[in-house]
Amino acid sequence: MNNSRITLTKSILTVVFLLAGISLSSSVLAFDKEAGKEKAQQVCASCHGMDGIGIIPTYPNLAGQYVDYLTKALKDYRSGVRSNAIMAGFSATLSDEDIRNLAYYYATLKDNRLPVLDLK
Amino acid sequence: MQKILLVCLLFSFGPVMAEGDVVRGEQIAYTCTGCHGIPKYKNSYPNYHVPKIGGQHAAYLETALKDYRDGARQHGTMQAQAGSLSDQDISDIAAYFSQLGQNKQDK
Repeated sequence: MNNSRITLTKSILTVVFLLAGISLSSSVLAFDKEAGKEKAQQVCASCHGMDGIGIIPTYPNLAGQYVDYLTKALKDYRSGVRSNAIMAGFSATLSDEDIRNLAYYYATLKDNRLPVLDLK
Repeated sequence: MQKILLVCLLFSFGPVMAEGDVVRGEQIAYTCTGCHGIPKYKNSYPNYHVPKIGGQHAAYLETALKDYRDGARQHGTMQAQAGSLSDQDISDIAAYFSQLGQNKQDK
């Protein structure tokens, strides 16, 4: 009796962990870095560089910026909540998926990343 | 002659952007660090990371602060913070943050 209960518990736990693993991997797969790279080349790179370094001082560096902040910025430009004539034009061409992939591409660049400040 | 022209060209950009004072910027920026100086600090409602501004271009940071101050960019906390800043304050704060963490890799 006890043994079968333990076996049952083990089976349930296995299923739970498997499901957790599947949902975790699918959320990771939600980003397509290659698609992001391609879109960056087409839309963003002429100002922000493929390396995420703004080519002039008024264009922000994006390398290593937080992915959720980049996503929000692009969506705010697209909806007009954040107004900028240049960014309004570019963001209007982007789907939610494009935005996700672009944000991931720039957030995960390895070189010249914006530093994490620890000042407190 | 070409050199003289080049020097004139370089100086002609001078007055466009006020040079920020990093030391004064650090003093004014104390409040900013309450969010921007804490690794992975998150904004609430909506919930997302407060952007990294260390090592960012000063001119961009100035634009951001002026947009908040003048209402072109909406964010309750940032509008409240930027509302009382002068152009000089903004230049100084931008100069301070832009020189932080330069040539350092992400932690």
